[in-house]
Amino acid sequence: MSVTTAAVFEQPAVLQPKQHGKPGGFLRHTSIFTGLAGGIVLAAITYMIGSKLVPWGTQNADFTQVGLNALLAATMFAWVIGFMAGIGAFAGPIRWALGHDLTHDDAEYMAGKGQGKFRYWKYTTDHKVVGTQYFIMVLILLGVGGFLAMLIRTELGWTWSELFDPNFYNSIIGTHGIVMVVSLIIVVTGPLGNFIMPIMVGARDMAFPRLNALSFWLLFAAVPPLLATLVMGGIRDGWSVYQPLATQAGMGMVGYQVLIIVFAFSTGVASVNLITTAVTMRARGMNWSRVPIFVIGIIASSVMGLIWFPMYQYSQVLAMSDLILNSSFFNPVAGGSVWLYENLFWLLAHPEVYVIVVPATAGILELMTVFLRKPLFSYKLAIAGFAGVVGISAIVWVHHMYMTGFAPQVGYPFMLSTELISIPFGFLVLVALGTMWRGKVWTRLPMMCVYAVIWDKVIGGITGVYLSDVPVDQYMHGSMFVVAHFHFMLMGAGLFGAMAAISYWFPKMCGKMLNESIGSIGFWTAFFGFQITFFSMFVAGLQGMPRRVLQFDNAFNVSNWISTIGAYIIGIGMLIFLYAIITSWRGKTWAPANPWGAKTLEWQTSTPVPLENFPVLPVVTSDPYGYGVPDPYDAIEQELARDDNEAKVPQ
Amino acid sequence: MSTTTTGPLYPTTGEPVAVNARRNRLGVWLCIVSDCAGSIALLIAYSYLWSLNVNNAWAPPKNTWAPDAPFWLIVLGIVLATIAMWWGYKGLVKGHKDRMIIGATLATLITLVTFIGQIVQLSTFPFDIQDGAYASSVFWLAIGAAIHLFLVLFLTMAMIFRTKADRITSDNPYHARLVSMWMTYVCIIIAIGALFTLVMKESPNSNAPTFGTFTSQQ
Repeated sequence: MSVTTAAVFEQPAVLQPKQHGKPGGFLRHTSIFTGLAGGIVLAAITYMIGSKLVPWGTQNADFTQVGLNALLAATMFAWVIGFMAGIGAFAGPIRWALGHDLTHDDAEYMAGKGQGKFRYWKYTTDHKVVGTQYFIMVLILLGVGGFLAMLIRTELGWTWSELFDPNFYNSIIGTHGIVMVVSLIIVVTGPLGNFIMPIMVGARDMAFPRLNALSFWLLFAAVPPLLATLVMGGIRDGWSVYQPLATQAGMGMVGYQVLIIVFAFSTGVASVNLITTAVTMRARGMNWSRVPIFVIGIIASSVMGLIWFPMYQYSQVLAMSDLILNSSFFNPVAGGSVWLYENLFWLLAHPEVYVIVVPATAGILELMTVFLRKPLFSYKLAIAGFAGVVGISAIVWVHHMYMTGFAPQVGYPFMLSTELISIPFGFLVLVALGTMWRGKVWTRLPMMCVYAVIWDKVIGGITGVYLSDVPVDQYMHGSMFVVAHFHFMLMGAGLFGAMAAISYWFPKMCGKMLNESIGSIGFWTAFFGFQITFFSMFVAGLQGMPRRVLQFDNAFNVSNWISTIGAYIIGIGMLIFLYAIITSWRGKTWAPANPWGAKTLEWQTSTPVPLENFPVLPVVTSDPYGYGVPDPYDAIEQELARDDNEAKVPQ
Repeated sequence: MSTTTTGPLYPTTGEPVAVNARRNRLGVWLCIVSDCAGSIALLIAYSYLWSLNVNNAWAPPKNTWAPDAPFWLIVLGIVLATIAMWWGYKGLVKGHKDRMIIGATLATLITLVTFIGQIVQLSTFPFDIQDGAYASSVFWLAIGAAIHLFLVLFLTMAMIFRTKADRITSDNPYHARLVSMWMTYVCIIIAIGALFTLVMKESPNSNAPTFGTFTSQQ
């Protein structure tokens, strides 16, 4: 992408509102520590008052401890509200309502100017800080989810070896599932959508910087209630927490519901911000045909999250209502319907797969052009692919309900729609293959990840087509085959795609080059471990092994044993990759501004990226993938650079 | 895409306020889309359970449905508040700052009364939330309306303070317009909820499947 530098807005002296005290105001005194204090204090007060008021012994029809669950829910929400108040999240809306608008100095303070590394511990609005916070949070969540996966595979290594109590084992399964889903939803849009995307479109920050900080800290506040579930009986019903099991569950279910309700707010706020930034803050000259494909992927993912996440959120609001108010949404005895829950749940929970896979796919398409030095093969086809996925994602959810007895006659239309979605996904694979066709590959770590993603997506996609067929699903439903399939999509395409994107943008985000030797060892180790684990799981599924079981027949011993070995190999690979990230990040040498010679805007600014991203706002004069296409502006710039170099040569 | 526009400048970023307003407008529209999806989830729950009448437990005990009038009084309240806010905004655009303050004050007062009315309705339903699927659904529609009204109350109060502080002026009336837009959406979604409670009372499924006698253990 050719860029000229010019100020889009002339910068005359802007009349500032009255400065109330020092810049930053109340936020000068807040940080994560005041947030923790606020959360703990409010939660403790709520618990103490609540325990006096709520009749603990109250039970609903299913003998659930209604009073205790209500008290727990109130305490957890009090934690979230107290934390957000303590960290300063409510200062902005109150200032706005009172007419005390931010001055430029306020905004700079809130963006973390002059605060060093302490800004990462505060309610900082700079999108780069928020992106980095997301990155660290994702690494922690993936670590937790991965550790739980290791426990699962350890238990399943041999049948009849009961390492864990069955209830605890079920809790591990449910917690692993939801932790991984949450972390994969944010693994690309969190770190890269926040850090990279605004620079990529030539903006100084996100459209709504305070909402950006809000989205991260809401997520942060939502995690402790989830992790607390492990010591409160856990989530024993899988990550989908089907009804009426959820209403009959113990206290752990409350933590799950609080997580989803709060996380949905976080996702909604982030989606609004990402879409608005991409649509309204593009640099001058960046018309829609010049928007990098990664930005399109972020928009597509955010649109799906924005529309479908509220369905999931309300499914949990109503489930919590059943649990603590004894209402009748999902309890058939009192007029509720478990199918209602399943519909509301899967209305998000299937598009959620695309929320995860789409940005990762967009990331690999973006970096392929760089490492092949070729324009993207059929940019419009890629956009059609993303649009098709977004559109059809709305009409596929019932394929999760073929075997529930819900309206069997609608199974076939949904079978058709599910198979249809493979067409836009096929477009995206075609674009990837077309871009590689006759290309001269610059094989670096991000490009290696691309091969892995294409392979995994093909395997996951083809097995998905099988599973969308009603007759096949009648046999495969609830088996390990399904588990292997969705791991190929979510981990194989989603997580490895995210690894590709992170290793590509690592020099810009962290300012250092990723150690590719160690990173490649880690990546390939994890990739081969992944194939061993989940191909073996396909075999177990075809043999008839059901999922979510603690013990199984001896017939499945070999495939489970191999799967467990594969899982340990994945774990070792991931640890090596993590080691590469940490040691590279701690390195002393700064990365060059544009180590890959890429043409998109984020690589045209310096590293580390300055607070306002660009000294002056860029103006885009060509498309982002015009490799090998002569550009008059490039020629002028090269001429100027040559003159400049000649002038610097000592005489 | 960023464009150069003349007019007053936004103090935080130095951009023209019109540019900032366009950005905020898209943000509010997206918030409306997201909120609408959540509200639709409640309406789906209502109509789904109404149509199935599982275990013949849709209707509240003794068919004591919630009276219709309070729903429509609440709709009337939010509609009047919205009209007051639009009236104030139109006046502001013509340069009458006082009219904006009066409009926002009226909107706040009417919304406050409506919000109190909503709380009264919630506390005087002739059934409890656990009295069947209809009762649960109606309670949550009313709770949803109360949350929306509370948010409207915050926004209309903010409009009073911001107009008095000259943050909202005839040159920069955009926040008042966005609040009016949001209130219009709230009118529509609360009216749809009221319509559901009006036309969907008796379930059309009189031959509902029945489940065991588990409730007898209560």
